[in-house]
Amino acid sequence: MTRLNSNQILGLIIALLAVGYLAMAFQIPDFPLPRPIDSDLFPKVLGFTLFGLAVMLFLEKPKDRDIPDEIGPEERAKPLLLRPWSRVVITSLAIVAYALLLVPVGFVLTSLALSFGLAWYFGYRRHGVNLATSLGVVLLLYLAMTRGMDVYLPQGILPF
Amino acid sequence: MDAFNNLMYGFGIALEPTNIAYVFIGVFAGTIIGMLPGLGPISALALMIPVTFAMEPSSGLILMAGVYYGAIFGGSTSSILLNAPGVAGTVATAFDGYPMARKGLAGKALAIAAYASFIGGTISVVFLMLVAPVLGRVAVSFGPAEYFALMVLGLTAVVTLSDKSLVKGLIAAVVGVMISIMGIDLQTGTERYTFGTTHLLDGIDFLVVALGVFALAEVFYMLLRGGGGKEQPRNAIGSLRLSRSEIKEIAGPVGRSSVLGFFVGVLPGAGATVASFLGYSMEKRIAKDGDTFGKGNIKGLAAPETANNAACTGSFVPLLILGVPGSGTTAVLLGALLVMGVSPGPMMLEQRPDVFWGVIASMYIGNIMLLVLNLPLIPLIAKILDMPRPLLLSLILIFCMIGVYGTSFSVFDLLLLLGFGLLGLGMRLFGFPAAPLILALILGNIMEESMRRALQISGGDWSIFIDKPISLALLIIAVLSLCLPLVKKVILQARQTRG
Repeated sequence: MTRLNSNQILGLIIALLAVGYLAMAFQIPDFPLPRPIDSDLFPKVLGFTLFGLAVMLFLEKPKDRDIPDEIGPEERAKPLLLRPWSRVVITSLAIVAYALLLVPVGFVLTSLALSFGLAWYFGYRRHGVNLATSLGVVLLLYLAMTRGMDVYLPQGILPF
Repeated sequence: MDAFNNLMYGFGIALEPTNIAYVFIGVFAGTIIGMLPGLGPISALALMIPVTFAMEPSSGLILMAGVYYGAIFGGSTSSILLNAPGVAGTVATAFDGYPMARKGLAGKALAIAAYASFIGGTISVVFLMLVAPVLGRVAVSFGPAEYFALMVLGLTAVVTLSDKSLVKGLIAAVVGVMISIMGIDLQTGTERYTFGTTHLLDGIDFLVVALGVFALAEVFYMLLRGGGGKEQPRNAIGSLRLSRSEIKEIAGPVGRSSVLGFFVGVLPGAGATVASFLGYSMEKRIAKDGDTFGKGNIKGLAAPETANNAACTGSFVPLLILGVPGSGTTAVLLGALLVMGVSPGPMMLEQRPDVFWGVIASMYIGNIMLLVLNLPLIPLIAKILDMPRPLLLSLILIFCMIGVYGTSFSVFDLLLLLGFGLLGLGMRLFGFPAAPLILALILGNIMEESMRRALQISGGDWSIFIDKPISLALLIIAVLSLCLPLVKKVILQARQTRG
């Protein structure tokens, strides 16, 4: 069996999504009063269109620029935590932790931890500058938003 | 001559020392607020309403017009420097502005944005003055069928302008519309694609998607490509000066986009976003070096910047002449006017000529102030790019977080932001353009609403879209714009086989 190319794999995934989307579109309840166009028509049109486009994508030959480059041996030789995809995964996890801690701990502390911690993780080693910049920017944004614009940001465990 | 006399009368009001001070304060405050993540012209104007309570209506409106212009320009700054468009109108600015900044031409990019905004704003003010009453009447003749056709045209224009696969562009556009219709259907109250969670009842906010697929995806992409630990090259700002050939190069796009932007801005609902995308796609089509658009072409930056400012002026036409706000921003302005005791509408020119002409004259002055104020500030603003890359990446993340949380106060939206960041990364890796997704997200709702209203009027008869001449013409242009790349391809292939 021949191996599927990137467009064919993407086409199959998108077709599956389109089928799921259509299944949900057919479950949208009717409006009690008769109307020429109900809430379900537009989603159905979109679902079928996406399915058609997925088929077209399946049949389209991928160009070089549509295939992600291989990661070089230099990057692969790095410790696991510093490899390119690890950087994306760890940053994503840091964002999830930030979202969950933002309200209980407060904007200033969580943002400072995220900014300082990630800059350090990404390879910045001047810790004093890192701390001063992160703290300065976070405090400036916090004060501008809460004092200047009256936009609420969680204060958390800090008294201000 | 009447218009000239009226304008002189307007200048008499706008040039009063207090009013000049208001324009200055307005432009300055607007620029600062516009640069802040998530705060666009609407928030900037809303913040100014309490300040204008006690003012003379003409002074109040002059202040607000300054804030409006300033906020639009401020938004362009974060688009160019960080690829983080805070408002929809500056998304297209990032397409070529950000690549320019990455090439070390941030100073030039910001200077072009300032000049283009200034010229776009100034030319469209002339139009506003001369043709406002006539255009007001045309704008009201646009019914739902025409709007639907206009939205379809806007979308196809963006899909075809991308140099990536047409099918992938269309997929991105369809997904964008799908995201836009999530939440409660406002016409029937039916829930669609909320997955049983109350967080999605209001749908997904534009800012979450825009910051996700542009700014966050960019951070992820840099991390993936090993950009995290590398130092930023020096001389990241570059010169602010434009050479004579560069001025010549952008003169055409700026002129054309001024006119296009103004007319699109006049149509209620279309506004700065559609204008900037249309301006960009028009120039890409016309340009001989269209394939360099998206890679730091100065025409690709000048066109949307001009068009969005011109559209802002254009959006004053329905507001001042008809009393009908065409966008969220002008709706806030209308509210402010009503609070000040001025009712815009056909009688405003006769009853309050001081307000009408005062505002128009202050737009000229506001545009000059914008240039005078922002050009000297550019080297300072562009210093952001001199920061070490790891520090910059982590601060961009904070910028995105505060932008999203500060507008929705929802932790759920922060997680959605992450989801869209990863989606944006995937799209980038597999060659899906992000622009159609964003524009479809903005237009999707209006498109569905217009379509349903048109069919409501026609009793379900689809021929309403081709019976109306304007709608038919717009749809034909849309179909042609989709077919054009195919025709081009066939001709090229035929030539190659012959050669």
